[in-house]
Amino acid sequence: MNEDKSIEYLVGKKAKLDVFVEPFSFKIVSFLDDLSKSLDSKINNKNFPDLKALSFFCRKNNILNLKSKHQNNDTTRFGLGLLFHITPSNIPTNFAYSLIFGLIAGNSNIVKIPLKKFDEIALICKSINHVLGKTKHVKIKDMITIIRYDGKKDLLTKKFSAICDARLIWGGDQTIANIKKFDTKPKNIDIPFSDRYSISLINSEKFLKLSEHKVLNLIKNFYNDTYAVDQNACSSPHLILWNGRLCEKAKKKFWFYLDNLVRKKYDSPLISTVDNYSRLASELIKNKNIHSFKNLNKSLYVVTLKKLYPNLYISKSKWGFFYECNINSLKNIGHVTRRGLQTITYFGFSKKFLKAFFEANNFNGIDRVVPFGQALNINLIWDGYDLTKILSREIEIR
Amino acid sequence: MHFLNNLINQNAFSLNPIIKTKLFKKNLNFLTSFHYKKSNLYKKYLNGLNYQNKQNSNLSEIPFLPVRLFKEFDFLSIKKKEIFKTLFSSGTTSGNLSKIYIDKANALNQIKVLQKIFNNVIGNSRLPMLVIDRENTILDRNSFNASAAAIKGFSIFANQIVYLLNEKGNIDYKILSNFLKQNHKNKFLIFGFTSNIYLNLIKKINKKKIDINNFSNAFLIHGGGWKKIEEKKISRNKFNAYLNKNLGIKNVRNYYGLVEQIGSIFFECKCGYFIASNYSDIIIRDENLNICKKGETGLVQLLSLLPTSYPGHSILTEDIGEIVNDHECKCYGHGTRFLIHGRLRNAELRGCSNI
Repeated sequence: MNEDKSIEYLVGKKAKLDVFVEPFSFKIVSFLDDLSKSLDSKINNKNFPDLKALSFFCRKNNILNLKSKHQNNDTTRFGLGLLFHITPSNIPTNFAYSLIFGLIAGNSNIVKIPLKKFDEIALICKSINHVLGKTKHVKIKDMITIIRYDGKKDLLTKKFSAICDARLIWGGDQTIANIKKFDTKPKNIDIPFSDRYSISLINSEKFLKLSEHKVLNLIKNFYNDTYAVDQNACSSPHLILWNGRLCEKAKKKFWFYLDNLVRKKYDSPLISTVDNYSRLASELIKNKNIHSFKNLNKSLYVVTLKKLYPNLYISKSKWGFFYECNINSLKNIGHVTRRGLQTITYFGFSKKFLKAFFEANNFNGIDRVVPFGQALNINLIWDGYDLTKILSREIEIR
Repeated sequence: MHFLNNLINQNAFSLNPIIKTKLFKKNLNFLTSFHYKKSNLYKKYLNGLNYQNKQNSNLSEIPFLPVRLFKEFDFLSIKKKEIFKTLFSSGTTSGNLSKIYIDKANALNQIKVLQKIFNNVIGNSRLPMLVIDRENTILDRNSFNASAAAIKGFSIFANQIVYLLNEKGNIDYKILSNFLKQNHKNKFLIFGFTSNIYLNLIKKINKKKIDINNFSNAFLIHGGGWKKIEEKKISRNKFNAYLNKNLGIKNVRNYYGLVEQIGSIFFECKCGYFIASNYSDIIIRDENLNICKKGETGLVQLLSLLPTSYPGHSILTEDIGEIVNDHECKCYGHGTRFLIHGRLRNAELRGCSNI
């Protein structure tokens, strides 16, 4: 594509403009399955839970399962062509999911990865290169280029923007605005994954009925949704909503158990101490809606809000800093669902009940409603986009 | 404040630990109550913390404001019309500026205290000063950024100020040789930011164009942090050795301070320790914000008796340091000896923001 020295090529040199296949193409499924095996062999004894999850996602069975859910065999679809992915610096495996979604939809991909050099990224790229080395995957080589360059090098972003058919832009609003400055082909589609926040919804009465074992399990799931990524994923909950008649008792128990687990398990850098304390100090000064706060440990701050009200602003906290509020009626969720709300993780409600509730209430801004423990499970439908559909085109044949 | 008038007549390092603790306890508690009454924002903060004991707290219990908050809020304990000057600093974590509001009395005290401290470092007489920077062409008298404020602050110790860099930021050898010709026989000052000293006096300077014998009377003072040159992996010892070997500069002293806290300025002694004067002190806190023992590394909290125009008498910084455990020296006089190990890094978060 070019010989620019400011680009580092981690995989491939030339994703092609005109290579596209049908969604869930057999070639892609087979490539991903081999990638899964290669990842497994490289991580076998190492502690990379996120790589294990990635490998699990790539397995043939999982992809075929997704295919049966997402593919309508009566239609004829192909990938859009060339995708340009601008991926985020923080979840190391995120770029891989972005790439995999692009491949599954049938596209050729240029993936810009963050400058930060994560072990996970090196390992994934090594695996991809290894699998691409096999003769049977030679055609996939034209579909994957993974590059690293300084995002300030506008010329490169400009160049890729001009040739691609869709841009997947992961990042803050600032990043998205910056990328959108660069011209694209007329039919290009931009898919921005902007800054979001998420909440949890807990039924206090159901929570208090749980056995000790189940409480521990629930807390572990909550921990995995939050602390596993320093609470800094868009889908990690920032605000906990308590419903039911026994909120106070339930809160006490919930935070007590979480405090224990966090003290035992969570390790965070010194800057988190300053971040959390500074956030608390700032909230105490500017937020009139604070009822009280708890500082259970350096990585567990809970600010209890007096009430929810329309357009309540929730700051996107991290490092184990939570806001909580009681809600008498689930309809009050509507106060915090404005455009930024991505995921609601819930406990103590049935899927059927929630489906009926959200269908009846038509809130603005909710993308996902999932049980505790599934906040980070990235999927083909993300941020409300059905990616295999958006990243492919349909040929209407009558 | 009345006690400052008494203090200012003494050597800046005169107070032994027992007397100093007593003085600080009394006056910092006074300042906490004072700012509680005068600053609405500070009052909200203390109320939010449920801080009750405003009269008789021990030093370690005096509440601290995280330094970052000076970027978000305009803390004022005076009326707006009493603002004499505004100090700005750019922090490292974001592009926002800290804004520090000073009235006339605070500005005057700051200069007095700096002078008292400086007397111990360099002596009483004013000296010629070579500034390793460009001359700041437009200096608004009422508002200073960190660099302008520092140069301006130190300029009171100079009887002649010469700027080494031309408008393009290159070394002007003609200016340099004129300055040295005139001043090399007696003690003179070189002042600059750590990064500027490194860039110009260590990296860029053409040794063929200078005579290192002319630097033997130089006293070099630098500060502003090592952050910009951190990636060069240069230690303090190496930095000083370079200057000594290449330019013949024997006396090199780092200084440490916060724009956010007037009165907190610390100069290295010749043993390499920063020493707190009568006007300021330091506490080191661990990851749980508990007090560290001597010799343990943690977050730096700074105390100062000076700030009355804004609630800056107790600030939690984002710097990492330690109070020296042994090998205490006798330099300057009394005062806590400490080391600064740099600034907190912006940690590599997992999550999905930023590119």
